Amino acid sequence: MFPSLGRDVAFPVIGSVLLFSAFVGAGLIYQNWLGGAAERLVTVMLIDAVIVLGIQIYVGNTGVLSFGHIGFGAIAGYTFAVFAISPAEKAKRIPDAPFGLAEVDVSSTAAVLIAVLLTVAVAFVIGVGLARSGAQSGAVSATVITLALLFVTHEVARNWPELTGGERAGLFFPIGGKLDTRAPIYIALFGALVVARVYAQSRSGRLAAAAREDNLAARAMGVNPLVQQMAALLISVAVVSVGASLRVYEDGSLLPQNFFFNYTLLTLVMLIVGGRNSVTGALLGVAVMTAGRELARRLGQDGFEIFGIGLDGEPLDWVFRENLQTVFLGASMLGFMILRPSGLLGDWEFDEWLRSRFGRFRAGGRAKAAAAESRPEPLPELESVEPSVLEAHGIDVSFGGFKALSDVGLIARSGEVIGIIGPNGAGKTTMVNVITGLVEPSSGKFSLNGDDVTSTPTYRLARLGVVRTFQNLRLFAALTVRENVEVSALIAASHRQGRTLIDVDSVIAEADLWEYRDRRARELDYGNSRRLELARAAALAPSFLLLDEPTSGMSDLESAEMIEQVRHMAATVGAGVLVIDHDLNFITGVSDRIYVFDHGEVIAHGSAEEVQADPLVRAAYLGTERTV
Amino acid sequence: MIELLQNLIDGLGRGSIYALLALGVAVVFGVMHLLNFAHGELITISGYAAYAAGQQGWSWYIIAPLIVVCAVVSSLVIERVAFSRVRGESDFTLLLTSFGVHFVVSAVFLLYVSASVKTYPRPGWVTNTYSLGPLNIEVFDTVVIVVTIITLIATTMLLQRTMFGLALRAASADFDTARLMGVKSDSVIRGAFALSGLLAGIAGVFWLMRSGSTTPSAGIDPMLKGVLAALIGGLGSLRGAVLGGFALGLAEVLLRSRLPDSIASLTEGVVFVLIALLFIFRPQGLITVAHAERV
Amino acid sequence: MLEVTGLTTKYGAIAALRDATLTVGSGEVVGLIGPNGAGKTTLLNSIAGLLKPSAGRISFEGRDVTGHPPERLLLSGLALVPEHRRIFTDMTVEENLKIGGSTQSGANRTQDLNEMAELFTVLRSKWNTAAGFLSGGEAQQLAIARALMSRPRLLMMDEPSLGLAPILVDAVFELIDSLRQQGRTLLVVEQNATRMLEIADRAYVLRSGEIVAEGAGGELGKHDDLFGTFIGG
Repeated sequence: MFPSLGRDVAFPVIGSVLLFSAFVGAGLIYQNWLGGAAERLVTVMLIDAVIVLGIQIYVGNTGVLSFGHIGFGAIAGYTFAVFAISPAEKAKRIPDAPFGLAEVDVSSTAAVLIAVLLTVAVAFVIGVGLARSGAQSGAVSATVITLALLFVTHEVARNWPELTGGERAGLFFPIGGKLDTRAPIYIALFGALVVARVYAQSRSGRLAAAAREDNLAARAMGVNPLVQQMAALLISVAVVSVGASLRVYEDGSLLPQNFFFNYTLLTLVMLIVGGRNSVTGALLGVAVMTAGRELARRLGQDGFEIFGIGLDGEPLDWVFRENLQTVFLGASMLGFMILRPSGLLGDWEFDEWLRSRFGRFRAGGRAKAAAAESRPEPLPELESVEPSVLEAHGIDVSFGGFKALSDVGLIARSGEVIGIIGPNGAGKTTMVNVITGLVEPSSGKFSLNGDDVTSTPTYRLARLGVVRTFQNLRLFAALTVRENVEVSALIAASHRQGRTLIDVDSVIAEADLWEYRDRRARELDYGNSRRLELARAAALAPSFLLLDEPTSGMSDLESAEMIEQVRHMAATVGAGVLVIDHDLNFITGVSDRIYVFDHGEVIAHGSAEEVQADPLVRAAYLGTERTV
Repeated sequence: MIELLQNLIDGLGRGSIYALLALGVAVVFGVMHLLNFAHGELITISGYAAYAAGQQGWSWYIIAPLIVVCAVVSSLVIERVAFSRVRGESDFTLLLTSFGVHFVVSAVFLLYVSASVKTYPRPGWVTNTYSLGPLNIEVFDTVVIVVTIITLIATTMLLQRTMFGLALRAASADFDTARLMGVKSDSVIRGAFALSGLLAGIAGVFWLMRSGSTTPSAGIDPMLKGVLAALIGGLGSLRGAVLGGFALGLAEVLLRSRLPDSIASLTEGVVFVLIALLFIFRPQGLITVAHAERV
Repeated sequence: MLEVTGLTTKYGAIAALRDATLTVGSGEVVGLIGPNGAGKTTLLNSIAGLLKPSAGRISFEGRDVTGHPPERLLLSGLALVPEHRRIFTDMTVEENLKIGGSTQSGANRTQDLNEMAELFTVLRSKWNTAAGFLSGGEAQQLAIARALMSRPRLLMMDEPSLGLAPILVDAVFELIDSLRQQGRTLLVVEQNATRMLEIADRAYVLRSGEIVAEGAGGELGKHDDLFGTFIGG
């Protein structure tokens, strides 16, 4: 499902057509200029592009560094080869192939299909393992698992000569001649481009990207990152499998080392140089690195000069030229990591640029376009809301020997604003963490509308309507304001159907972010970031909104505005609010009832006036007198 | 029983080298949060130094210290040229930087030496064995185990008794607070790389003695063993790294001798599968305990 | 001794501290009070070099030390006992103290170790215990002793009474008082304003990242309106 289908598929497809034309066009021009010598270079570049785009789908959208995709490529490559080679050839190379594979005879298209299905099945198993290991952006354990896959496939390929022809002989075959036309490659490349861009725009792609930016915040918005990572992995591996099959077909031979460390390096460098978060970047990276390696190779030939640099005299032997390319690759990886880790393009995307330039002229004419540009009307407050109750009883939490909460109970109803105050270290944030499933209480019960929801995972609680913000701002930094809000709107659309859903644009306008809607969240200033966090939580149509220090770092004036905003947002979505703050002024201004925490206990509870008059509260805030 | 004892001794010999490599990886990870995929390159570089020295006809009494010095110097140079520039960057960047260093070093040897295997003479006693009751023990393993034990004791002393050791442990536990106590970040990180290089150098002497040759990609194997052993031990933990090294050595020897012949050649693969399973079920490693998620 | 002028510190876009100006004279005990989130820790961390201020100037004993890294500031005589104590839990009490004295000569360090053993009797009995096994009060004493090992001329403490049981809070304030009687210069962040004002010569009140009040300890304490100032009422 797409946030709004018509808009979001058109530009990725148009963008893909243009990018594809530019990429293939550049290749063909070079080929024409150099003649037949460059034909293979261009073919290889096109196939590399398919594989790199495949890797980008996973690495780019999830932020998990994978060394294992070339391992998946090896599985696909061997599967393709074993199925596609004719029985007559197989009798020469691998007469003892297990499972009766020596006699199998299928067309090469069918072989590709089999390779994709088998590799995706393997990827599913690996994906379950990755999920178990707690894969998230930059996770080391996930990277090691993918590395293990690369090595295991390599070891198996080397040591299973009955199937793979072994380390030296390998598989060598004419499947029916080499690939005699580039048509399949063009189709695969175009397909890979469209899949990569459309996936990034799809529900799954957006949720995966949200989890990449901030795993915890994504879970708090109801995203289950593991499911989205799995989707990205399977699609990504399918594309890589097609690319790997094409490569085997084109090479006409297959050795274990073809899909190992060096190819992993090459594809990763291509991805990193262009910008791993961008499909356009991945394609640019392939072009730049191919051109760079070609240049390195040709500089080793006599008589080739560029800007006066070149070899004068003896041409270098081919071994040296090959090695020069490897140095170039390693140095590029290192250089980019040190100087520009986000790559040439960062997260710039060609079709998004197209949309920002020409989006106004899309179907619907000027009137509709003008309507889309104008600021939405303010939202009405909900008249009646299905009543919800959130209740906690006897909650105890201890970290090691330290008792963070003891016997805490509280109750909140929809339509109410509950304030939680207390000095530093009183256990307020721990309480919010318990309610949102981040901390498991050692005893006590916590229920939502009478159902026990103690130790329910965070993302599931969010889908049940318990949504939080964070003290130290956790926005999806690389996504735009609108995209941030869309993440929760997407979750709301599929999991909050009983509620009145609010329009993304209206929420943005409501939070005074209308003019910033296409800015990336990392470019916002502090007050706007806070408001975006509130808007993002509200778009989930929550039953309860938990705000952890929404005014910390704000001036008094900004805090006062925030009071209004919180009250209004809550009324608009019909949510009960629990707000933690250190600012008693803010809390009394916004809350119907107040709980005062100190040393992990509720020391007072009541209306603002009652609480302010309580001597225990004064003591908790200003410190105790001497105890003796 | 005898066979098991034999396996145990062989495993200790193999595991000793892994333990030294893993400790080097863990020391660097502690101060910089960098999983060093370039750790094996210290052995590649040392290997070429050994080759050059062998060409001169030098004896192993000179080659061994040369290897150690070479590893320490290379470790410091790599830190200066590459890792010092990405301090504090994301894990993704750090991982790929070390991966990049790995490739640059091997590519440079490819370019300026050659891809072919370079051999050098091995000391004669490397292949000798002696009998201890029913057991057949390699002289080499004995030397490795003894030297490793001495090295580990010395490293423990260094970490517990010297100011540098205290600073290194403090910086691994809490870098900012260590700085508040006057620990200089530059010197502690460089010290960690020097120590890591020293340990890799000692491991490298044995590694190179046993292999008797080097190639541009010779670093992959020791790097993998060191990184994996450190991961088994739970990365941050130095004690865990040493235990992880021994565990990996033992596991390899046991698998090789116990697996049916048809798949014994797959030992490496099986070890990888086991490690992957370990991460799937205990991502935090064998030794460490999980930390509560901080919000 | 310490002069801070117009200090502003940001986390990304958030200005957690705005235009803070304060002074600490030699031998003075100065309190920094205010609700949590007011920017007290940010102020101390900026002075100690853990955070880079985006504007303003810090001078210590007449020399500009703005932007110096913490290890350099320690050499200049400025030490911080960080919030949450941050002792090295895997290291013994003695090792923690030695790290604190890492900038001193070996002889000084030995002398100071003996002195700390005299001064902090609780620690003496746990000298070779891993610091992780200390109770909250003991850990706080260790954190302060560790900072004293560098022989600071100005000692800053961040919430020394945080998370301690009331009886231990007493112990911490007694310790601060005894340090004052030794003539040490202290800058202390505290949430326990009443107690802090009792022992401070002067105090500053922070709110929402700004210094909103300043005065002699006793004076601020008598102020009926402190609660109001505190919570912005």
